[in-house]
Amino acid sequence: MRTRAVFAASAAVAVAAFLFASGARTEELKQYDSNNKQFWTHPPDDWFMGDETQELKGTNYLNTLPPATSFTKDEIEAKLKNIKLPAGFKIELYASGVSDARQMAWGDKGTLFVGSLFLAKGTVQAVVNEGGKTSIKTVISKGLRMPSGIAFRDGALYVADIDKIYKYDNAEANLDNLPAPQVVYDDMPPYVPHGWKYLTFDKDGWLYVALGPPCNICLPPTSTSQVRHINPANGTAEIVALGVRNSVGGDVDPRTGDYWFTENARDWLGQDTPGDKLNHVAKLGENFGYPHCHQGDIPDPKFAMGHKCSEFSPPALNLGAHMAPLGMKFYTGSQFPADYKNNIIVAEHGSWNRSKYQGGRLMRVTVDADGKNAKEVEFASGWIGADGKYLGRPNDVIVAKDGSLLVADDYNGAIYRISYSK
Amino acid sequence: MMKTRNLLLLAIAGFVWSFEYGPALAADAAAGKELAEGCAGCHGADGVSQTPLTPSLAGEPDDFIQWQLVFFRGGTRKNEVMGPIAEALDNQQIRNLGAYYASLSPPKSQSASIADPLAQAGASLAVQHRCKSCHGEDFTGGGPAARLAGQREDVLLKALRDYKTGARVGTGVASMTDVTYELSDTDMQALAHYMATLR
Repeated sequence: MRTRAVFAASAAVAVAAFLFASGARTEELKQYDSNNKQFWTHPPDDWFMGDETQELKGTNYLNTLPPATSFTKDEIEAKLKNIKLPAGFKIELYASGVSDARQMAWGDKGTLFVGSLFLAKGTVQAVVNEGGKTSIKTVISKGLRMPSGIAFRDGALYVADIDKIYKYDNAEANLDNLPAPQVVYDDMPPYVPHGWKYLTFDKDGWLYVALGPPCNICLPPTSTSQVRHINPANGTAEIVALGVRNSVGGDVDPRTGDYWFTENARDWLGQDTPGDKLNHVAKLGENFGYPHCHQGDIPDPKFAMGHKCSEFSPPALNLGAHMAPLGMKFYTGSQFPADYKNNIIVAEHGSWNRSKYQGGRLMRVTVDADGKNAKEVEFASGWIGADGKYLGRPNDVIVAKDGSLLVADDYNGAIYRISYSK
Repeated sequence: MMKTRNLLLLAIAGFVWSFEYGPALAADAAAGKELAEGCAGCHGADGVSQTPLTPSLAGEPDDFIQWQLVFFRGGTRKNEVMGPIAEALDNQQIRNLGAYYASLSPPKSQSASIADPLAQAGASLAVQHRCKSCHGEDFTGGGPAARLAGQREDVLLKALRDYKTGARVGTGVASMTDVTYELSDTDMQALAHYMATLR
């Protein structure tokens, strides 16, 4: 612990010196003074937003929050008319009133569990579908911090808190009164910034989970900036990937069993740089470059520290700057046209650290199982209105039993259903 | 750059649902004014409070007013007077109240003398704790972040103390809980004094 704090603190001195040298104007810019011990006993919860630059001054995550009174079913349905999809596809409202909807997971009996992040104050909700009519239940109402990451397997609901993964047995039969959870894993750092998670089961019942650094850009404290593979049955874990910034989306390739994940690149380097990434873990322990190298070919102006980008694994695909790719899934259904099989659908939450918003859409990625020939096209777009404001912010997708695709939108507190018919 | 920021914040603060996308009614400041007659007893006839521990609402950002009413209504923010009042409000009334109070001229404060050491201490704490990043270059607020300039000093101090003890939780990312974590009571007094005396 001690070594880690000292190491991190010396990095912080370097950052502070850099900022100091960059001129008197910086005193008007928001910056974090990490050059003291107290900072490291409790890095600020909003440190993920990072030090401001003149170019992007005034951009702030808070600006992208939905209005307080949220939206009615009618308002959300009216906005869906703005969404563009390829021919033959349609989008409809599946459920509204799912406050702050983040990662989704299917129960065995068809209950859709939905995690939340900032606004729903630690709740997990469930969308119950009875004969086509949906109702919303808050199944966990307190005691959790930023439970964005959830998963379901063999009757049990798994929920990631900042530093614990909980298991709620027999969850679907007890929606009104979940049993007390067991802690199945707790070897995770306590940092709030980038402490929210996304959980992905592989076929053997191990979970993939990424642990983000508590900062925008820094020398990551030990045990952050990595993806782990965790066996919730006994707490065993291995490190799958290193050099990873904030990753809140991933899936297992049905063709190979390999893990793929989205990664949000650092902020404040420019309106259009560096690109967010889609990564493919081809071998255990690969390093994807953070904080030294971004998008596979941009050395960090401060944190390259002598490293070359060629030392690190490049992304399978550069998804573009500030797109905020979050939840992703391989399309494994059979309702969509045949060429969608095993494509990746990525939910892009959209930017905050950019003067003009971009993202706020679903992308369709086609890529070979070995990571070659990656290409993307827009699948669903239109969540940024003609006036440049958000109409919605998709952040997760999940394939339904009938092959349709559900989409979570935390801006509208809504779940959509995208279906295809000839 | 100031421009971009202000435009952005205005865009959020003045959030009015456009007819193009939805059937909802636009916020109606006139209806809000009528409704606000019931608030005047404590918050002042023109939204400028003369009541201890009761905030001035004039010139607060539209979104800030709305968020606080929603927090009172849902019980996230607890207050025995405001709780029952907010419970009786529907979404449209909350939007109208936001629009009304945002349209009023903010309170005029007594400018502190340059030599006021407490205000000076507050000014430097405000820089150290990055207050401008959410509350705006002139602390006039924006979006869900409150206007602080010219607010009653007792209100500001109580808010800081409540954030520190966890009695109150902010809108975004727990920033206020976090900022106050490091503040001593003397620090909070200095900050409240500085903001209250800002023009």
